[in-house]
Amino acid sequence: MSGRTFEGALERVEETVWRIPRSYKKGMLVDGLIYSSPRLIAQVVSDRAPEQVANVAFLPGIQMASLAMPDIHWGYGFAIGGVCATDPAAGGVVSPGGVGYDINCGVRLIRTDLSADDIAPQLRELVDSLFAHIPLGLGQGSKHHFGDGELDQLMAQGPSYLVGKGLATDRDIDFTEARGRLDGAEPDFVSERAHKRGQGQCGSLGSGNHFVEIQAVQRIEETTAAAAMGLAEGQVVVMIHSGSRGLGYQVCDDSLRALRDSPARHGIDLPDQQLACAPIESKEGRHYLGAMAAAANFGWCNRQLLMWQARQAFEAALGRPWQELGMELVYDVAHNTAKLEEHTIDGATKQVLVHRKGATRAFPPGHPEVPEPYRDVGQPVLIPGDMGRASWVLAGRPGAMERTFGSSCHGAGRAMSRKASVKATKGRDIGAELAAAGILARSKGWRGLAEEQPDAYKDVDEVVDVVDRAGLSAKVARLVPLGVIKG
Amino acid sequence: MYETFEHTADVGLRVSAQSLNELFAAAARGLFSLLVADPIVGNGETLSFEVSGDNLTFLLVDMLSELLFTFESEAVVLGDFVFNVGDGRASATATARALDPNLHGSPREVKAITYHAANVRHTEEGWDAELILDV
Repeated sequence: MSGRTFEGALERVEETVWRIPRSYKKGMLVDGLIYSSPRLIAQVVSDRAPEQVANVAFLPGIQMASLAMPDIHWGYGFAIGGVCATDPAAGGVVSPGGVGYDINCGVRLIRTDLSADDIAPQLRELVDSLFAHIPLGLGQGSKHHFGDGELDQLMAQGPSYLVGKGLATDRDIDFTEARGRLDGAEPDFVSERAHKRGQGQCGSLGSGNHFVEIQAVQRIEETTAAAAMGLAEGQVVVMIHSGSRGLGYQVCDDSLRALRDSPARHGIDLPDQQLACAPIESKEGRHYLGAMAAAANFGWCNRQLLMWQARQAFEAALGRPWQELGMELVYDVAHNTAKLEEHTIDGATKQVLVHRKGATRAFPPGHPEVPEPYRDVGQPVLIPGDMGRASWVLAGRPGAMERTFGSSCHGAGRAMSRKASVKATKGRDIGAELAAAGILARSKGWRGLAEEQPDAYKDVDEVVDVVDRAGLSAKVARLVPLGVIKG
Repeated sequence: MYETFEHTADVGLRVSAQSLNELFAAAARGLFSLLVADPIVGNGETLSFEVSGDNLTFLLVDMLSELLFTFESEAVVLGDFVFNVGDGRASATATARALDPNLHGSPREVKAITYHAANVRHTEEGWDAELILDV
């Protein structure tokens, strides 16, 4: 098996929307809808991602359509970039594959009062300081150790627990999606194995596509929203991308094992065993949701501790307290979750379970879950690009509520497999190439940079153009990389 | 034998062998070749593993998941696998050596062995299997 081209029915129904009709495969309950552009869709059909969009349409209780964002690419079960809402009252299911192994993988953005020009002479020192302060890669555990009882508190309370330990502020919590705590977390449903994998990892970056990046605001596209978020041209910001580490991976693994016989037991016919699922209201479904929420809360704690260490790294390099440097959290947003949310579908408002597998929540202005200072401009939607080009801050728009269950894209999306990327960089020194472009990159191994080199990704500007034009989220600020550390 | 194949976001592992025992051993070697650059074990401690179930694909996913968990939680590289697969169970012995980046190279993170398109098949030549690993 390889990434063979999708040859099924795919029709352009709007400027930014392509449809896989329900008739494509027997068993699809709804259409598949892919948000894209003519150039991006040509890449999308080159692997099995569209087939996966069609497969998700089999899930019982699915509402409206199986959706995909413009950064969609081939995943396992769900495509990366997939969104699916299921209705508990209509026999709707929860599928751990619709969240993924890295439960609550997500992004946070920290602003500073520094300008890119100010820090240019100290950039090397700042990158080295981040590298020294933040554990990364597989071998390095966290500097913060939590006993079993404390691990349960992290999973039950999220980063609010860290306020009492002097590792978070009340303001940090206010600017975290869901205030860093999903309701219904059941730490008791998290296995011994998951505890063991996660115990020494809260506050560590991991590897793969996770990073901490120093960036400069290159361009403001929407001044009111940027002002509300405290962003201005030339300003230095720090972006962090990581998730729930081994604890989350194990929760997903345990749940898939527990659920792999469930479709047959519940009479559900699925085209891919990675889509294993159970009715939301079943014992297995509730068990997964409780464990998943606990892992999500742990993920927010992980990003909080990563931010805390980034603040310490800046303090060490610049000799001033982080408060003086203005290192406040702009926002933290998850892109691998399943959440019960209120949405209006065909005129009826109801609670549905929104699976976002590599998709970002993007609530519009006025939504009660948007922090008060952003209430008039929309929720910040943080889109990491690649380490050579750009990342973006967007703001949620009403179109997302109307069309994508309050969701937007989550990144550039891979254009090249890791293997192909390593092959394409053979004989090249990616670190030196980035340095020649003025970007300082440090990684624990050569593989991290070779697999994650800029060309391995789609152009994030094109991806963001689609969600902007489709009215899902609006461009606020374009960020360019200055320095990055990776596992 | 094992080889990797391309998957946009993750890594594919394709294995083939004449017997099921060899197939599982090749898959285990393939997994460790992805976890570290040089999976040397030498004369280390011997560890035993066992999983059960009547679905061969699930048996392989479960066994590799056991090995992955041991790698990550105990920080050991495993090799010299001897498998015994049949009658609804798979058991294995393996030699374990403490993970040493100077010897093994910088380890990479594999999050999980996925079920997506996972398949163990009996062929004319013996057995083959494909798996996708989330990295």
